[in-house]
Amino acid sequence: MQDFDLVAVLTNPEFRAMLLGGLVMTFVVAVGSWCLAMGLAITLLVVRLVPGRVTEWLVGTYVAYHRNVPTLVQLMLWYFGISSLLPDGLQMFLTDNNGEAVFAIVALGLCQAAYFSEDLRSGLRAVPPGQTEAARALGHGFIGTMRHVLMPQALRNALPSLINHSVSLFKNSSLAMAIGVAELTHAVKEVENQSFQTFEIYLIATIAYLVCSLAIMAVGAVLSRQAAIAGAR
Amino acid sequence: MLLDLVDIIRENWLLLLIGQYPNGPLGGFAATLILSVLSIALAFPLSVLIAFARFSTNPLLLWPATVLVYVARGVPLLMLILWVYFMVPLLIGANVPGFVTMLVTLVIYEGAFLSEVVRGGIVALGRGQVETARALGHGYFGAMIHIILPQALYNVMPSILSQFVSAIKETTLGYVINVPELTFAANQVNNQLLTKPFEVFFLLAIIYFLVCWTLTRAALVLERRIAHKRAGMPGVALSLNPQMPVPEP
Amino acid sequence: MTQETPTAKVEPMIRFSNVNKNYGGFQALVDINAEVARGEVVVVCGPSGSGKSTLIRTVNRLEEIHSGTITFDGRSVHGKMRGSELNHLRSRIGFVFQSFNLFPHLSALENVTISPVKVNGVDREQARDRAMRLLDRVGLSAKANAYPAQLSGGQQQRVAIARALAMEPPAMLFDEPTSALDPEMVGEVLAVMRGLAADGMTMMCVTHEMGFAREVADRVWFMDAGQILETAEPSVFFGDPQHARAQRFLSDLRH
Repeated sequence: MQDFDLVAVLTNPEFRAMLLGGLVMTFVVAVGSWCLAMGLAITLLVVRLVPGRVTEWLVGTYVAYHRNVPTLVQLMLWYFGISSLLPDGLQMFLTDNNGEAVFAIVALGLCQAAYFSEDLRSGLRAVPPGQTEAARALGHGFIGTMRHVLMPQALRNALPSLINHSVSLFKNSSLAMAIGVAELTHAVKEVENQSFQTFEIYLIATIAYLVCSLAIMAVGAVLSRQAAIAGAR
Repeated sequence: MLLDLVDIIRENWLLLLIGQYPNGPLGGFAATLILSVLSIALAFPLSVLIAFARFSTNPLLLWPATVLVYVARGVPLLMLILWVYFMVPLLIGANVPGFVTMLVTLVIYEGAFLSEVVRGGIVALGRGQVETARALGHGYFGAMIHIILPQALYNVMPSILSQFVSAIKETTLGYVINVPELTFAANQVNNQLLTKPFEVFFLLAIIYFLVCWTLTRAALVLERRIAHKRAGMPGVALSLNPQMPVPEP
Repeated sequence: MTQETPTAKVEPMIRFSNVNKNYGGFQALVDINAEVARGEVVVVCGPSGSGKSTLIRTVNRLEEIHSGTITFDGRSVHGKMRGSELNHLRSRIGFVFQSFNLFPHLSALENVTISPVKVNGVDREQARDRAMRLLDRVGLSAKANAYPAQLSGGQQQRVAIARALAMEPPAMLFDEPTSALDPEMVGEVLAVMRGLAADGMTMMCVTHEMGFAREVADRVWFMDAGQILETAEPSVFFGDPQHARAQRFLSDLRH
């Protein structure tokens, strides 16, 4: 092992470019799948509000599958399995257009949607039934009750777990390396193979991950404080 | 497609179940199970120690424990695996099998997350129990070991079971450092067949689903039973605490 | 306080005709026939579980009924109607809950303005002015920017009354408005209700406050086991109750 030299790694333009590129890809995967997950989670929540056993069962199964199957296996099923069922033209197109990242975003997004939708649902269920009654008694319709009365409270209730799960999603973006997405962990392995300064490279990547995760937690704490209702609890 | 699944199971069930054993190391589902059981069994005592350290006023205990928890919460498990893979041989001067690397990583990672569960359980009991124990003349550790921990650990049993489910899911990451567990075995099967990737990985997903789903249901039943038993006592709803971070790779 | 059409003049504000409701095998409401006239203050009393709250909640259809009709201001409440029609109808019925049910994420002022703005499409500024006047009327203009959790129970219930009044309802329904309050806060809420009655508001109140009933009510309805057993002026009801169960109820209250 060479002597500890953080500067040598950071000033090497090639390594720096690879690590930065990895970090950017990590953000692309994390942000892309976060947006997909949140959109889908809200859709799942609304579908579940429709009365009926079929919708309840469908959403319940969706959630159970994505929460009980390891994320890495979900990634593999999408990248190796489902991709092989696609029409040839689409497969070619994806291969030429960074298909790994697309599959990573889809797999991570679909998986995380299950967590987000459960967070939102528990948040909604924690709002006392009297709130709905009061809103209906004042003449608000279903959508008005949701938008002005229930959702503002449900979102506040769900915020801590949404933040926790957003951190998990960010961490899980590292799994994309297993299907060849050139994100940060992947870049770390590449640079390590070329430089052999393993300790320094791991340290840089670890600090990068930690800073981002702590930043998400900090944003969450600020949001919670801003959203806190005066006098409550 | 259903026939394909049956064929794959019929021809590869032994590989999926125990890997190359006895011709090679024990692998497949057996390795997954052993790895997750061992990791939780070893992480549990560690988690209690970390939880105590986080209640401590001594900075030499408080700070390392806090840093450990935040590193586990903030750094991907994969990155930690790479660290252990790299550091353990340096520290002990010998190469270790991937299985051991994975076990060490999981014990640290699960220990950190479990410590939050244990800590939550203790906090949820409230001050009253500590004060009562102290008033009866128990010392700090006496109060903790005889009065607080038994109650707190009983209450958080469902969360420990959930953490076990997380551990099963996390063992899949052993694949990246060639630990011969279930996901690794499935990839071997896929590489032999080459033409049936969907069927192989779908089967893999189903296996994990059945195991984890069953355990998740069990945790839910356990939680209801405990809540029922302790109805009216403090700390009932603690395992539903949304603040509690649970990892889910 | 509302302009009355010739047909509405003879029509009572609320009318129950042959109303029945059951939960499973349990008859919650039995053949209810009664009227609340315009400008009248009715107090509904009776032992707990007698169906008082169920009855008042059927008026704005928070509870469904199984047979009979209920009309509010000449309009049938339980007939077939679109959701938007029901919402419009409900917006015209002031309802005050036992547990206040203020929206905790909105300030007192916002609690009072949100429904006029979002349901009735009232201009924001106008709604604000009206809300301030209403808060002033319930003695809370100084607390306009406070959040529900910062208010006492009595203050919350007064905001809830202002919130209901903001929809300019022709009648107000009160479902045990003081039951969840500490004793020292009951008076301030009853004072607001007295003021409303004095202004000629049509009111239907489920309450255990017999002093209020005696003093403010035009009529008292006594309910037991889902039936209205007696309707009388308060002086008659309290002085000489006719029904045996009403006599027992009143003597239990005195002890």
